[in-house]
Amino acid sequence: MNSTIIRLSTQALLGRRRGLVLALIPAVVIALAVVIRALTEPGTGYEIVDAIGFTLALPLVALLASSAVLGPEIDDGSIVYLIAKPVPRRSVVLSKYVVAWLATLALGALPLLLAGLVLDSSEPSQAVAWALGGAVAGTTYTALFLALAALTRHAVVIGLLFVLLWEGLLGGLLSGIRWLAIGAWGQEIAASVSDAVTAPGTGLLYAVLAATVLTVGSVWFAGDRLRSFTLRGDE
Amino acid sequence: MPEQPVPRTGASGVIHDLGYRPYDGPRNGSGTIASALFLSGFRNAFGLGRSGKSKVLPFLLLALNLLPAVIIVGAMTLFNANELPLGYARYASATQILVSIFVAAQAPVLFSRDLRHGSIALYLARPLSSAAYAVARWAALLAATLVFLLVPIVALYVGAVLAELDFSEQTEEAAKAALLAVLLALMLTGISGLIASVSVRRGFAVVATIAVLLLGNGVVTAVQGISDEQGELRVGEVAGLFSPYSLYRGGTSALTDELFLTPPTGAVMTAAYFAVMVLVGIAGLAGIVLRYRRIAGR
Amino acid sequence: MGTISLEAVSRWYGNVVAVNGITMTVGPGVTGLLGPNGAGKTTLIALMAGFLSPSAGTVTLDGDTIWRNTEVYRTIGLVPEREISFGYLTGRQFVLANAELHGLTDPGAACQRALEVVEMVEPASRRIGTYSKGMRQRVKLASALVHDPSVLLLDEPFNGVDPRQRLHLMALLQRFGAEGRTVLFSSHILEEVEQVARQIEVVVSGRHAASGDFGEIRRLMTDRPVQYVVVSDDDRTLASALISEPSVVAVGLRPRGGVDVSVTDLGEFAHRLPRVARDARVRLVELTPTDESLESVFSYLVGR
Repeated sequence: MNSTIIRLSTQALLGRRRGLVLALIPAVVIALAVVIRALTEPGTGYEIVDAIGFTLALPLVALLASSAVLGPEIDDGSIVYLIAKPVPRRSVVLSKYVVAWLATLALGALPLLLAGLVLDSSEPSQAVAWALGGAVAGTTYTALFLALAALTRHAVVIGLLFVLLWEGLLGGLLSGIRWLAIGAWGQEIAASVSDAVTAPGTGLLYAVLAATVLTVGSVWFAGDRLRSFTLRGDE
Repeated sequence: MPEQPVPRTGASGVIHDLGYRPYDGPRNGSGTIASALFLSGFRNAFGLGRSGKSKVLPFLLLALNLLPAVIIVGAMTLFNANELPLGYARYASATQILVSIFVAAQAPVLFSRDLRHGSIALYLARPLSSAAYAVARWAALLAATLVFLLVPIVALYVGAVLAELDFSEQTEEAAKAALLAVLLALMLTGISGLIASVSVRRGFAVVATIAVLLLGNGVVTAVQGISDEQGELRVGEVAGLFSPYSLYRGGTSALTDELFLTPPTGAVMTAAYFAVMVLVGIAGLAGIVLRYRRIAGR
Repeated sequence: MGTISLEAVSRWYGNVVAVNGITMTVGPGVTGLLGPNGAGKTTLIALMAGFLSPSAGTVTLDGDTIWRNTEVYRTIGLVPEREISFGYLTGRQFVLANAELHGLTDPGAACQRALEVVEMVEPASRRIGTYSKGMRQRVKLASALVHDPSVLLLDEPFNGVDPRQRLHLMALLQRFGAEGRTVLFSSHILEEVEQVARQIEVVVSGRHAASGDFGEIRRLMTDRPVQYVVVSDDDRTLASALISEPSVVAVGLRPRGGVDVSVTDLGEFAHRLPRVARDARVRLVELTPTDESLESVFSYLVGR
């Protein structure tokens, strides 16, 4: 890892409007939890942790974070300034991944814990479960989206299609998609912590293994893409 | 024209009139320019006139959006049903993820690219006001979104008519759905267009639009669900005013007999739903126009 | 040392050949890479900078393969044509980040030194987004110089830079060359290359068209047959008179009047033409050179 890359990536991630939107997403989730808790009994509306925080806000944060640290620089080719250096490209990718990953944990997974605790403080294990599942899913999402950003300029749209269409729309219709859905793996892990979470049914071992393999594979792939980064002319 | 030296002041220099003349023939007005801009924008939204790769996404989404309609019509004829299993107006709610991705991904095509590559200066150097440019782009996105929303409705309608369901009833329902589609398209175009015209980075605009549309809808739906549970229906009705898709659902319940959570009750609330839908559309357009006025002023 | 060697290097994209069997060695001193737009200059520089793999052949720096070898960047400094998009950083922050990425022991001092060399110390505290084209070009150069590289690759460094800053950049490149660094820059403008480089490499359509000392190439270029069109009141008589001249190598009649003449010795031809015309009692109406553009020079070099 390289501290300069980490510093520059953090600046790119949190700079101006992008950082604002990135912070707004979890803020909306927590604000909703606070409003619901203020107006209703504890435990009411706990579904939002899953339906909004885990299924929607978490992947959006991961997508925004991982595309922000790599996407624009690859898109306009200015990454050559960072990688025409005696720094192994894999360590460049790893540094960028760590920045996006920490952002996803802080702004995607941690809000799940907070929202859960706000909604029902009597049963913290469920909030911890969602946060842990969210942390695992966020780790994998970030890696996958980083690999997409290294692969194509349409990474954001493809990432959205994966989350919304594949995991969301189709995952709701075809239960077999749980074997190939990051969200389902995270939920499986959450279910192993708290009985209040329904397990999608892939088994804990499979979920952990699949998340690990995809994360490591994606970061490795992104590093490999960067090792072969090709500079094209402007024409 | 004969070559005649045009003498200038001083001794040595001379500029020869070689007969080059500026174009002084008839010119098309800004109406023609705007309509050309509209047409190219509309085509670009579907990737027409652009590279083969940029056609993939819009047509993939369009095909996915049409697929359920085709399946429904097929199932209807197979089982001899005497009504559509999914109403015209409900269709857009059922496929809102596809609709959202379409507008989120295609709005930057029309609004961000010219800003990012600086080609906006070339457009604004023409005798076309920044407002006309903005309106032409907005209209192109609106038309594209409408096509996206109306294609499955038309498919369902054609299927229903050919299956000889009650003609006048089907026509009325389809017309209502078309009206609602116009209102939805107005809102989506205003929101996604504004975000795309403010953001230069495409990916950022896409995620921000999705966050506003789907996260907003998620929050409102959650509030509506809880208010329904708690019997505080009014809260859900008011909450419904805050997201395009919940407004659309409210409008649908008002016009048709489709059932959604906490539909607007009473004439005032129903009127408010339709007023907000129109206002969101107008506000989006106004925002886009203002944004381009600022760019042109620089 | 710092010598970049290309051995029979080709690069193709699908059916398009961007670089075709080029062998060249770039050593210490300033080398100009000359060629018209789209000739493959950027492709060549990308190959030398390790941002493109050769489809065939080898690209090496002092014997080490450049592709996928990040260690070469200790020796190579690259100034791409691509703009810096780190507009949110100040010039100093950007150059400093480059110094840190090189793992220098005192990045602050290296940054200051590089900024001084390009005379950007004063504006370095401003954000890059506010810079003019020339200033951005100099910050890019500073970022490439920060680790004191013995090889400097620059892609179209003078594009869009105003004349005063261009002179400054040229003086810098000459200085680096005189210090014994290997400096390679690309350009499509003959005069630009002429002012800076002793050694030039000419590429046209991905092929290595000429190579060597500038004066030598220039002479080869001026000694090439030059095409003229001569219009007279009796073309056929003029043509038969011209073909007996030693300076003329070919004569052709144009269908619509006029004589195409290929001339090897320009001075001799200019001297002889009026006399030949007078002796043959032919009245000359017009004399036009037909191929003075740089592209025709290139096409001559390629067609040779």
